[in-house]
Amino acid sequence: MALEKSMAAIPEFLSKAELLKQGAEARVYRARFLGRPTIVKERFRKQYRHPLLDEKLTHRRTVQEVRSVLRCRRAGISVPVVYFVDYSSHSIFLEEIVGSSTVRDHIASSPPSARCEGLEPLAERVGQVLARMHDEDVIHGDLTTSNMLLRCGPEDGVSELFLIDFGLSYISALPEDKGVDLYVLEKAFLSTHPHTEALFQRLLKSYAAASKKSSAVIKKLEEVRLRGRKRSMVG
Amino acid sequence: MHLTHELELFPGHKVTQMLFKEVKNAAELRQCAVEGKINGALINPTMLVNPFQVLVAANKAVNSQNNGKMKTRSLYSEIIFNLSPTNNISEAFKRFGCSDGDDSVLVVFIHNEDESQLLADLTARVSGRQVPVEEVSSLTDHAKVKKLYKVTQEEEESGTLLDAVVCRMAAKDVM
Repeated sequence: MALEKSMAAIPEFLSKAELLKQGAEARVYRARFLGRPTIVKERFRKQYRHPLLDEKLTHRRTVQEVRSVLRCRRAGISVPVVYFVDYSSHSIFLEEIVGSSTVRDHIASSPPSARCEGLEPLAERVGQVLARMHDEDVIHGDLTTSNMLLRCGPEDGVSELFLIDFGLSYISALPEDKGVDLYVLEKAFLSTHPHTEALFQRLLKSYAAASKKSSAVIKKLEEVRLRGRKRSMVG
Repeated sequence: MHLTHELELFPGHKVTQMLFKEVKNAAELRQCAVEGKINGALINPTMLVNPFQVLVAANKAVNSQNNGKMKTRSLYSEIIFNLSPTNNISEAFKRFGCSDGDDSVLVVFIHNEDESQLLADLTARVSGRQVPVEEVSSLTDHAKVKKLYKVTQEEEESGTLLDAVVCRMAAKDVM
């Protein structure tokens, strides 16, 4: 039984899918895959790079992203399920978390007056999840409130907090790297959501309480704050 | 009864699954498969959690065949290999392929035309009772699956067993 072959199967499929976002690194699509709502992240070729280097870098980043997602999943952190990875087009097919909204939208849509109090439980949850992630030595690399999703559970159920977009993630045990990870979140948090310093403090307190290795990390965070932008001055 | 799904990435490639219980001739079926007389993969359903798991393995197999990057010799052995969390081919066959003493079997085949003839051929070969493919979850040996895929306690609490299994199948080449 001869089945037709086509080298362009995935690009062909993506050309008909709904493009959600185009970044510098990758394009994000929404489609149906194996009967399920799926997000496809395609790291496209960068023509401005030397082809060999491009291939190596793109491959490495795809691999790191998949590894980090699996590592988080093993630790019980809610992340999308990876359905399929194609290494020739550097595309990752993941579960679409349907019926969710970003933590960013959640915070932005809550009334400013009640903001800090009403959102405290959320801040605590985020702190706990990040503590779990860092205890697994996973550095997210791009922590922002747009990369955290809340999916409403059943009527009286608790909503589930998901972490997404591990495109810049890597594995590291260094408190510096974890401190920088938190610093990136702090900067993003405070600039996106004005007047929420107290809320972020709550997040950090929850993180410190939940993580076994937090004191070194918080110390590094304070050092990084004094230094300025995202640089970790290690080696 | 049977379940057919056309692969979105490979239009024209349809994946059909059939599940049989009370199978009396597993040894004979396995022999036929080895000799290439059966145009399909025979899978041990106790290692399956859901038909979706088979779809994921089949999709990956077709993709590998397309790219010329299969690790095994045929499309059907590739499907069985993809189900396994390890890269050891013979181990994959031992655990996920059907064995002589099995009393249930899930058959999967990939085709591009109407499946009724293929279904009839297969039903004739299997000495057993066909049941809806969805019933495979009632045959799952949860303990064995958890052990083989090394599913952690935390994972079980935060997601489903299917999530854990599919994730490992998808990430196998890089872990």
